[in-house]
Amino acid sequence: MVLELQKPRPIWQIMFSSHHTDVGLLYLITSLAFLFLGGALALAIRAELFLPGAQIIGDAMTFNRIFTVHGTTLIFLFIIPFASAVGNYYVPIMVRYKDMAYPKLNAIAFWMIPPGGALIWLGFADFTWYATPPYSIISAPGPAADMWIFGLKILGISSVLGAINFIVTILKCKHPDMSIGQVPLLAWSFLSSSLIILVAIPTFAAALLMLLTDRLGVSGFFNPAMGGDPIAYAHLFWFTFHPEVYVLVIPAIGMMYEIIPRFSRKPIYSYNSGIFAFVLLSIVGFSSWAHHMYATGMSFTEKTVFMVGTLAAVPASAMHVFNFIATMWNGRIKFLTPMMWSVGGIALFFSAGAGGVANAAMPLDFTTHDTYWVVGHFHLFVMGTIAFGSIGFLYYMFPYVTGRMYNETMGKVHFVMSFIGTVLVFFTQHVLGLYGMPRRIFDYPPIPEWIAMNQIATVGAMIIGVSMAIFLINMIYSSAKGKLANTDDPFDLGGKYYYPFEAKNPSH
Amino acid sequence: MSGHSNWPEWIYIGVVIALMVWVGAEAWEAERLVEHVPADAETIIVTGQQWFWSFEHEDGTKEIGELHVEVGKAYKFEIISKDVNHAFNIHDYVVLMDAIPGRVNTVWFAPTEVGTHDIQCREYCGLIHYNMRGTLIVEDPST
Amino acid sequence: MSHDNSQTVYRTTPARTGKMMVIMLGICIAGGAIFFSMWDYWISEPAPVVAMMAGSDDHAAPAAQTGQTLTQDLSFIESSDFRTLAFNALPGEPDNNPTVNMNVGDKVIFNLINDGKSFHSFGVTKDAEGFGGIIPGSEVASASNPLKPGESGSSEFVAGEEGTYYYICTVPGHRDQGMVGEIIIGPAQGGVSPGVAAAPTGVSHDFTLDFVESADFRTLAFNALPGEDGHNPDVKVNSGDEVTITANNLGKSFHSFGVVSNPEDFNNVIMDSAIAAATNPLKPGEGGSVTFTAGAPGTYYYICTVPGHALQGMQGSFIIE
Repeated sequence: MVLELQKPRPIWQIMFSSHHTDVGLLYLITSLAFLFLGGALALAIRAELFLPGAQIIGDAMTFNRIFTVHGTTLIFLFIIPFASAVGNYYVPIMVRYKDMAYPKLNAIAFWMIPPGGALIWLGFADFTWYATPPYSIISAPGPAADMWIFGLKILGISSVLGAINFIVTILKCKHPDMSIGQVPLLAWSFLSSSLIILVAIPTFAAALLMLLTDRLGVSGFFNPAMGGDPIAYAHLFWFTFHPEVYVLVIPAIGMMYEIIPRFSRKPIYSYNSGIFAFVLLSIVGFSSWAHHMYATGMSFTEKTVFMVGTLAAVPASAMHVFNFIATMWNGRIKFLTPMMWSVGGIALFFSAGAGGVANAAMPLDFTTHDTYWVVGHFHLFVMGTIAFGSIGFLYYMFPYVTGRMYNETMGKVHFVMSFIGTVLVFFTQHVLGLYGMPRRIFDYPPIPEWIAMNQIATVGAMIIGVSMAIFLINMIYSSAKGKLANTDDPFDLGGKYYYPFEAKNPSH
Repeated sequence: MSGHSNWPEWIYIGVVIALMVWVGAEAWEAERLVEHVPADAETIIVTGQQWFWSFEHEDGTKEIGELHVEVGKAYKFEIISKDVNHAFNIHDYVVLMDAIPGRVNTVWFAPTEVGTHDIQCREYCGLIHYNMRGTLIVEDPST
Repeated sequence: MSHDNSQTVYRTTPARTGKMMVIMLGICIAGGAIFFSMWDYWISEPAPVVAMMAGSDDHAAPAAQTGQTLTQDLSFIESSDFRTLAFNALPGEPDNNPTVNMNVGDKVIFNLINDGKSFHSFGVTKDAEGFGGIIPGSEVASASNPLKPGESGSSEFVAGEEGTYYYICTVPGHRDQGMVGEIIIGPAQGGVSPGVAAAPTGVSHDFTLDFVESADFRTLAFNALPGEDGHNPDVKVNSGDEVTITANNLGKSFHSFGVVSNPEDFNNVIMDSAIAAATNPLKPGEGGSVTFTAGAPGTYYYICTVPGHALQGMQGSFIIE
């Protein structure tokens, strides 16, 4: 799996290559760079909110720009490219094909990420990652706003191209001896998320274009002064972005499906349930978008429909949790770094989902909407589940990609600190939201409970920051000077569960 | 593929579904009650704009930044916005409704105790969103 | 695929990876430099639709100055609870929201400073309420890119018609909280007829005003040097007359021409009377001409619009009756 080359290659050869492992590596490096950039912004936000009044950020405009770019970066420039990295690296191997279906298109899809990211970072818009009109039309200053719109357009196209590639590779290019029911669950997760992307992203592409023409004054889709309706944007946006959150989570769960059976040295409890849950989640995920819009003045019937749609997706996610726990039950678990991250990720996934049920219930949402409860809730998903699953998988991939082992102690320290930090920040924010602190605020009144909880959250964030520094050092140092790994079984799990492309039955 | 019995999984899914049905039913009932505006509720027009709240009572009295209401009466807020999206929120009474330009949103409440409470904006609206605050003052009924 | 791990397998060398990381870091630093050096630019422009929504401004075109220049210093101040805002002093104290009295044709220069802790911006409007309808040229900063505490700026406003205008803080809501003052504009001063240009009379005049210089370049003039005949001739026409001016550069330096209200204000050429410009002047030996209609009655000046030349003598009276 590690590229077998006798001579080290020049960097430009890797950069301009279209081989899936090279493109995967490019996605990986880019997404990790943006992880750290976006994470630095998060630390700035938390440092500012440590106390009421201006701490390190002088004015509200700068703060608004920082949290906008923080959210945009971590979703579009870390989570999605990281998933693409893993998919590019592994999907062709899992379906036993030589490369992705369209290698050059693959490389083009990657190379759209840096310009998109550059546009977003250079402009640093201030209208939150939702870009809700009318604010984003009549009040958000340019050219930052327009650059954001163009940047996201480019990133959306990149996602769609990647999705097409995955779908064709998995469905059409898989080895003739392999039936679709034998394709590993990680590949199934990419199939599901790619199908969601194909349906959901074009809606947002349309919404972005409409937003741009509204800003130019050419159209009045969302601008009440020109006859439009801001709620139309909310529908278009959430129609894409509720399924999009499943696009974000499904690959991470797929990654856990690789790690948990192997490190439990037991086959997955129910491969069929895994497939069923992925497909069900993809479909049902489209029926719940307006639960983000309960407070916009929808009728009782509309709210009920979307509440039912939201609750209907819970059993599908619950099936994954059951699958993981049942797999680990009675297994000979080896708690190495990747396993710790995955198990921690499941625990936080469960907590995130439980909190989400409170949001789904219509009347409870009026307490929690647009407060720090929501911030805590979704961060438990994106940080607690997706980032944990991704980082765990990164540790797992490390010996295969670099041929060397990372430092296991530093990896475990990274996990423990991150887990403690994540709990400190995001569980606290649930309570903070119940006390009424709104989102997206630069400063807050000196209410003692708010101050105390903000301080706890900031301490947690700093712990995560330190752990990420340890992580960075580990990754860089180990890839250059780490101990050489046994690429057949780097984690010493016992021969039966190493990468199954040698095995006859890839799911066991 | 799965040579083992999977009755635990079926029971687990059954429990999850039952839980979701229960949450949904309770929420449906609670929301139905919450949305029923009493017929005698007094209307207050709430105007949100960047970056302050203003109020107009039925008798024409206007207030900026502060709202005086009386204990024991029901009030229906008709919420409008003059520029961008805002959200009118009295957290202590779980009053929350967006102010969207071009439409009127309605929410009601009935204060039960004398006191002061914070009014805040709960939808990002720009530079001073963080300080788009007001005060709700609940007083004894004047005779 | 590989089963043989006895030899190390490379993707690339650590040295090359290190070089790549340095390059990436360099790109980030370059991007950061661009970003921070233009920090305010990225958020400086409102969306084009905003200008469209501000809609039909019948007072959109600023008037030309024909009268005096006044100065009004204003500072944004706030009460300690931020509920009351004002210019210069809080309500009840002297100099709160001072009223500006001026006449049609006068210009007032506003010097603004933000003495508060919040953000403010400035503009003059005719609207009796709200923060729109701002007369172009009178803005200092804007609501989406305002003056931070301690920052200052200036703008100007020329009264084109009688009536009451308002100077306000253009941050939405601040006018309602008290940051508004009146500008009361009375009729134009001087002149038997009001400060309005007459209809075209059909009468044409031709004048030649050539740029001349003294040998030591210290003295500049039109047509002839001081003491000689024809030096800086007075030009008199009636309002509404058609005036053609031909100007030739008889000197060795660069010059350009224009009629202005204030001989020291070489940037504001009025009545479309410019020949060339300081940024694209007439070279030695070059000439040009302009034809325009004489505007409202008053005393104006024709000058060389290259900065400093009017002060060195290249100015004369242009009187419209």
